[in-house]
Amino acid sequence: MSLGGEHDGRFEDDRVLIAEYALGLLEGGERAAVAHRVATEPVLAADLVLWRERLSTLDNEFVETPAPANAFSRIERRLFGEATTAGWWNSLAVWRGFAGAAAAVAVIAVGLNIATPRPDATALATQLVAALQANEGSGVEFVALYDQGSGEVRITSLSGQALADKDYELWYIKGDSPAVSMGVLPINEKREIPLDAAAKAGIAAGTTLAVTLEQKGGSPTGVAQGPIVAVGKVLPI
Amino acid sequence: MTNASPEIAALISRTALRDRTAFRDLYGRTSAKLFGVVLRILKDRAEAEEALQEVYVKIWQRADRYVQGGYSPISWLVAVARNHALDVLRARKPVSDDIDLALDIADGGPDPEQATMDKGERGRIDACLDTLENDKADCVRGAYLDGFSYEELASRHSVPLNTMRTWLRRSLLRLRECLSA
Repeated sequence: MSLGGEHDGRFEDDRVLIAEYALGLLEGGERAAVAHRVATEPVLAADLVLWRERLSTLDNEFVETPAPANAFSRIERRLFGEATTAGWWNSLAVWRGFAGAAAAVAVIAVGLNIATPRPDATALATQLVAALQANEGSGVEFVALYDQGSGEVRITSLSGQALADKDYELWYIKGDSPAVSMGVLPINEKREIPLDAAAKAGIAAGTTLAVTLEQKGGSPTGVAQGPIVAVGKVLPI
Repeated sequence: MTNASPEIAALISRTALRDRTAFRDLYGRTSAKLFGVVLRILKDRAEAEEALQEVYVKIWQRADRYVQGGYSPISWLVAVARNHALDVLRARKPVSDDIDLALDIADGGPDPEQATMDKGERGRIDACLDTLENDKADCVRGAYLDGFSYEELASRHSVPLNTMRTWLRRSLLRLRECLSA
């Protein structure tokens, strides 16, 4: 590349070449060649960062323009295969959809239950189970067993990892009512959660249990804020 | 988005950890800026809408590259949006794997300390552009802000293509000297 005789030599060429590349002036094979060199030559990569950082002062001239209202749901659909709307938490359709899928896993849950000390016949009649299936590839699964006689929910994690400065929080949702927290859950150990009177009345066959990922200590507002990582419907055994 | 860099940086980092809530927040805080970028370069609303979606898909997929790249958060996001818009503009034909072109990071890039130091000098580009003749500075701005190619710039300034290349390369060297002074 000639620079009109003023600046010869590869070193100078490279310095201009990276600026041209940063500006987007290179095309086709030339552009691809520089991209390859940037990926393999740290000095050029560093130079590119410098140019981009310096040119970014001009970014102020890009005028902020509100994006179309439906753009984000389309992005989510592309990435996650579904649209998640702002009102998802109270969307009955969402929960009903999850609950259907959870029913299949409940069979496994019952199998696990049999492996624990066999309850007597009367207790069995009042036990409910929920398989909280991993949602959207979270890899987090729980099985919950609710004994109406003792008023306790016993919940065990089947899979999933504890995350630093995050907690898993358990919720129940009955009908169209808002989700009610049942507290944060440990991973890799069993937990017995005694229910208060409202929860005892709230949890029955058909109630949905869900686990969300929340800040440490659980949602401070009493309303779920994080994504649902596992969900399942309460079924009679 | 003014002075929101640390928060934006945190949102990008959490996005790299597959935190969808953070990704949604990041979108909420930056989408107007990035839409402005793709709209200005593509000058076509329908294309810009499509481009915006693809830009955020890339951001989700490659957020981990930001973390190691040494960019300030907003300039990285704008670079992703701008490069994608340029791909659409230039190609309007099947694109090569321009994810790598857009987010090119080599091993051993500048360390964050160096990047931070350089940020203090960024304001100087305006002053340095002022040292160029008006039409030369306009070419640099046009290439950056509107994505004009050498051909378009030559046509707009009514000079032969090779003249435009020589102009701009000299201008970029001058800019570099000014910025490094």
